[in-house]
Amino acid sequence: MITKVHHVGVVVRAIDEALPFWRDTLGLKLHKLELIEEQGVKAALLSVGDSEVELLEPVVSDNGVARYLERKGEGLHHICFQSDDVERDLADMKAKGTEMIDQVTRVGIAGRICFLHPNAMDGALIELCQPLDDYAVQHPAGAPEAV
Amino acid sequence: MADLTLDHVVIAVKDLDGATADYVNILGRNPSWRGEHPKYGTKNTLFRIDNTYVELLALSGAKGDKRWSGVLQKTLEEKGEGVFALAIGTTDIKRAVEEFRDGGLDVADPADGHGVDVNTGAERGWRNAQVDPKHTNGLRIFFIQHLAPPEALPVAEPVTDGAHVRRMDHAVVLSADMEAARRVWSDKIGARLALDRTFPDRNTRILFYRLADITIEISGGAAQSKEGIGKPDRPWGLAWGVESIEKTCERLQAAGVETSGPRPGIKPGTLVATIKGEATHGVATLLIEHQPESFTEAARVAHSGAIDNTEQQRAFTPTALDHVSVTTSDLPGTAAKWATALGLSAVETSEHDDSRIAKIPAHNSYIALTQPLSSGGAIAAAMAERGQGMHAVAIAVDNIDEAVRDMRLKGVEISDPVAGREPGTRVASIAKASANGVPVVLVQRS
Repeated sequence: MITKVHHVGVVVRAIDEALPFWRDTLGLKLHKLELIEEQGVKAALLSVGDSEVELLEPVVSDNGVARYLERKGEGLHHICFQSDDVERDLADMKAKGTEMIDQVTRVGIAGRICFLHPNAMDGALIELCQPLDDYAVQHPAGAPEAV
Repeated sequence: MADLTLDHVVIAVKDLDGATADYVNILGRNPSWRGEHPKYGTKNTLFRIDNTYVELLALSGAKGDKRWSGVLQKTLEEKGEGVFALAIGTTDIKRAVEEFRDGGLDVADPADGHGVDVNTGAERGWRNAQVDPKHTNGLRIFFIQHLAPPEALPVAEPVTDGAHVRRMDHAVVLSADMEAARRVWSDKIGARLALDRTFPDRNTRILFYRLADITIEISGGAAQSKEGIGKPDRPWGLAWGVESIEKTCERLQAAGVETSGPRPGIKPGTLVATIKGEATHGVATLLIEHQPESFTEAARVAHSGAIDNTEQQRAFTPTALDHVSVTTSDLPGTAAKWATALGLSAVETSEHDDSRIAKIPAHNSYIALTQPLSSGGAIAAAMAERGQGMHAVAIAVDNIDEAVRDMRLKGVEISDPVAGREPGTRVASIAKASANGVPVVLVQRS
């Protein structure tokens, strides 16, 4: 079940050049800045109330974020909802025939995550996430096998 | 509290004569003062430099007030030599003590102190007020007001030309409990926080407090560890400002003091060198030369990869992610998909000039699923450009008029605040060119 909007993802060319607006002008507090090498992105997380804006900068040329930037330019990329059980929600969506990018959950910046296919939601890219400490309580042995 | 200075730094040493000789080498200056405190059972050497003075403090062997010699002896035995105390200067200690107590810092009553220079017979008086280290997260701090004029403590004469230490640049305190340290310096002492920055790639967070032109640098881990909470802070090192780091290193080398460097400092436009070996008597010691560009605006901005946590002074606060706009060419069809796949259902649909909007609540925010009603409006134009899907972000602010004024001053293209489509709201639109291609709307709810 979805419990809140965890973040909105914005694709930018360079995080260093985006922070003057999002952090310094809009006043959102930057609380995490990291390079996620396996995903080929640099990410900055900025708090707004109990939600976040996530700035994403591709550091390789062959991932989804880089292709999005190439094709559409900078802009609003996705919305991520927090789930109280991402495995169950993914299984439910698959059972209903919702088209998914991720057939199994994986570890992302926001915790255990999966992406819906944009076709499933008429063009909007949706991510579900569950923070890892919460996830570990439900799945102490790690992620279930794909079914 | 205003007008606080770093009056001096006390370094605990075992052998005062040996330490004095070493600090003559390090500072490149002869001592200003050789003193004894018969009452305390301690003796000292003082070096006045351009912006503070340094005190080497040792046991004299004379029987004295155990409060001083006892603490010093215990520190030397348990922790060894090193920075022992920070003396914070004030021009009115009575009032300062009252203000500190109002701020929740437990300070002792001011007590008179008196020193005699053993070489010249000169005398100086002061009043100081001690703070139990348990109130300052383990740091030994006292407040001091000098009763004698500044010239009563003469400047330590340089022994060489131009290669001596000019000033103290900063003092470094290591902390395992950064929030506790922050409460001590921000709330209890009331020092000015100039910078709160996190370097994730170096796993470091630093707080810079300014005491006049000297910085107290509190350094800890990027993330707070559970084990660190409640652990005492400890004074670690001193950084000395020099005019020419190259000349200073040459001078030290000739005096048999080993240095590493010079190398570029972390702050752009600085050159630094570390003094190695025993000569510093347990004080991590850095020499720093500021080149003119280290004072430029560019050098003050966060280095790449650093997170600046310093609270910005601004006239408005962003309070929430108000809503996210998603476009569609088939409102009922898309809304049904949101309800089926995600369990998020539209609660109301409203019609506006050029669009129809379904409001889909999502607990802490909502989704405005938006279908253009004509081909001429902004929504239709956005869809023509990017296709349907993710469109815009609305951020709630507490004062939209101040936000618009502030943003225009910073060069952001933003509309005047106008009544929003929801009753009781005022909105202003930021041009997407100012916000990385994202149409951002500010919303104030009354």
